[in-house]
Amino acid sequence: MQNPYIPYPVEVTKIITEVDTKDIKTFRLKFVNPEDEEKFKYIPGQFGELSIYGKGESPIGIASSPTQRGYIEFTVQKAGVVTSALHEMEEGTLMGVRGPMGNSWPIKFLEGKNIVIVGGGFAFTTLRSLINYMIHENNRKRFGKITVIYGARNPGLLIYKDELIEWQKRDDLNINVTVDKGDATWKGREGFVPTVCKEVAPSAENAVTVICGPPIMIRFTLPVFFDLGFKKENIITSLEMRMKCGIGKCGRCNVGSKYVCKDGPVFSLAELDKLTKEY
Amino acid sequence: MEKRLIKKDALVGIAKKMAEELTVWAPVKKEDNVLFTPLTKDAEPFFAYLNSKNAPKQVFFPHTETLMKYTRTPKGMVFSAEENKAGKTVLFGVRPCDAHSFVLLDMLFDQEKYKDQYYITKRNNTTVITLACAEPPYATCFCTSVDGEPVSADGADIVLTDIGSEYLAEFITPKGEKLAKYFGETKADAVAETKKKEIAEKAKKAIKSKIPAHEVKPILDNNFEHPFWATIHGKCLACGTCTYMCPTCHCFDISDEAKASDGVRIRSWDSCMFPLFTKETSGHNPRISQKERWRQRVMHKFKYYVDNFNAIACVGCGRCVMSCPVNIDIRKIIEDISKL
Repeated sequence: MQNPYIPYPVEVTKIITEVDTKDIKTFRLKFVNPEDEEKFKYIPGQFGELSIYGKGESPIGIASSPTQRGYIEFTVQKAGVVTSALHEMEEGTLMGVRGPMGNSWPIKFLEGKNIVIVGGGFAFTTLRSLINYMIHENNRKRFGKITVIYGARNPGLLIYKDELIEWQKRDDLNINVTVDKGDATWKGREGFVPTVCKEVAPSAENAVTVICGPPIMIRFTLPVFFDLGFKKENIITSLEMRMKCGIGKCGRCNVGSKYVCKDGPVFSLAELDKLTKEY
Repeated sequence: MEKRLIKKDALVGIAKKMAEELTVWAPVKKEDNVLFTPLTKDAEPFFAYLNSKNAPKQVFFPHTETLMKYTRTPKGMVFSAEENKAGKTVLFGVRPCDAHSFVLLDMLFDQEKYKDQYYITKRNNTTVITLACAEPPYATCFCTSVDGEPVSADGADIVLTDIGSEYLAEFITPKGEKLAKYFGETKADAVAETKKKEIAEKAKKAIKSKIPAHEVKPILDNNFEHPFWATIHGKCLACGTCTYMCPTCHCFDISDEAKASDGVRIRSWDSCMFPLFTKETSGHNPRISQKERWRQRVMHKFKYYVDNFNAIACVGCGRCVMSCPVNIDIRKIIEDISKL
């Protein structure tokens, strides 16, 4: 049986600087032992512990989709000890990853429904995983209409810029990208995410919304969805907490009786209502 | 069940004999304390003790433990898993409250989905010999309030009970029976068993300290927000002693210790009493003050563990009561909660 504390060795094969401020990068990792890729079988919404020997570990949502084979991707903001060390890394470096951890976006629950994805800023990573999973040719017909509303403070802070352009070319995906404030070259939409949600006004009929973003965005977006008629069971989000083990043992990421690492990070608003507000 | 009688003065010899072939942890007198220590030529077992200062959980869950090692190569660090070296071990003379803590820790470390092999390997390799409390050691003992008893086989492979002139040795599990050869050949008779039952009853009644541990669960369910939580922590120093002394506290940190060419990843006991325990890189801390940390400690033991494992994560050993430098008493807290 796999020892859950031991990382799989991986090689950093590609590093993409996502934003103008250069503090958000996507790291593409390839398993050193090809058989480990099968063991690291994941579902969108799960996370991994990125492991840099000598520095420690950091829990990060998986940004690639399981439909993308041969590698996994994590988009990481430079913030603490581990993520700063990661940002110093070069392609070809060896590191480790543990996981996959956590529940996931509720794929079975989403099937057959219209999906509204709402993302803000850097918290778009596991949503990107979900979008790429749903629009894959083998999966697309299992989901109804897909609407994406994604915003960042300014154009330079949008992540996955190339992908956003590709997605906009598709006719089976309604993509709405917005920035709080544009610049001279920005030709797209301007406006805060909650406002755009109100303008796009996705129907609540047989629909689920999956929301990830900064707390302030979530706070102002939720009332919009309540007004549109979305029930709390059909509003899904993902929590973050300080974590170490990732498997519900080290005891720090609990919200009430639930461990965010093991029982979460994904919860519906209805589930969150039953938990204490200690997060 | 195999039951034998052994002479009182034979116990030290039995432990020492075992220590010739196996790793034996036993209570050993060290300066003013009795500590669970691996027996060596210089470490004499001491069974006329009340309870050990340190909880014996450290045998399965050490203060600091290496999870893996790594070395630097030109392409980056390469790791190797730490070999689990736990050989056959005997934990000799554990008090029933502490043996009960192993059952509680098993629930966490040996879950169906995520198995903690570091803990499980040591646990599986260890035979637990309980030394029942014929007389309750301390006025602060409250095991009977938290599903324990001073004479109990919970968590034990062998139970030793002082029945006056002799010890009654009961071999509870096959693992315990494997060590029967060390305990002489004198079979226990019905008289010894009756005597043991009397002693067990008497010891149970002698536990005077009681807390409404089961009664507070529904109150905790409904009072996460309550002014009471602001009344516990005022004098707390956040030293973490209560959690370090506790036989059931299991929270840990994982950190790396690196040198230029190699290093280790270790896990160490951590404490929910520390501000950094939940502080996130952004600066946000969901448990912002000692009030929230105390609520977590009480909730974890008397509500969350019950929700998740249907067991209270307290064994009533009283170590936290005795060790707290500012006299915060969990018994008083539970008592007060029961009256909310």
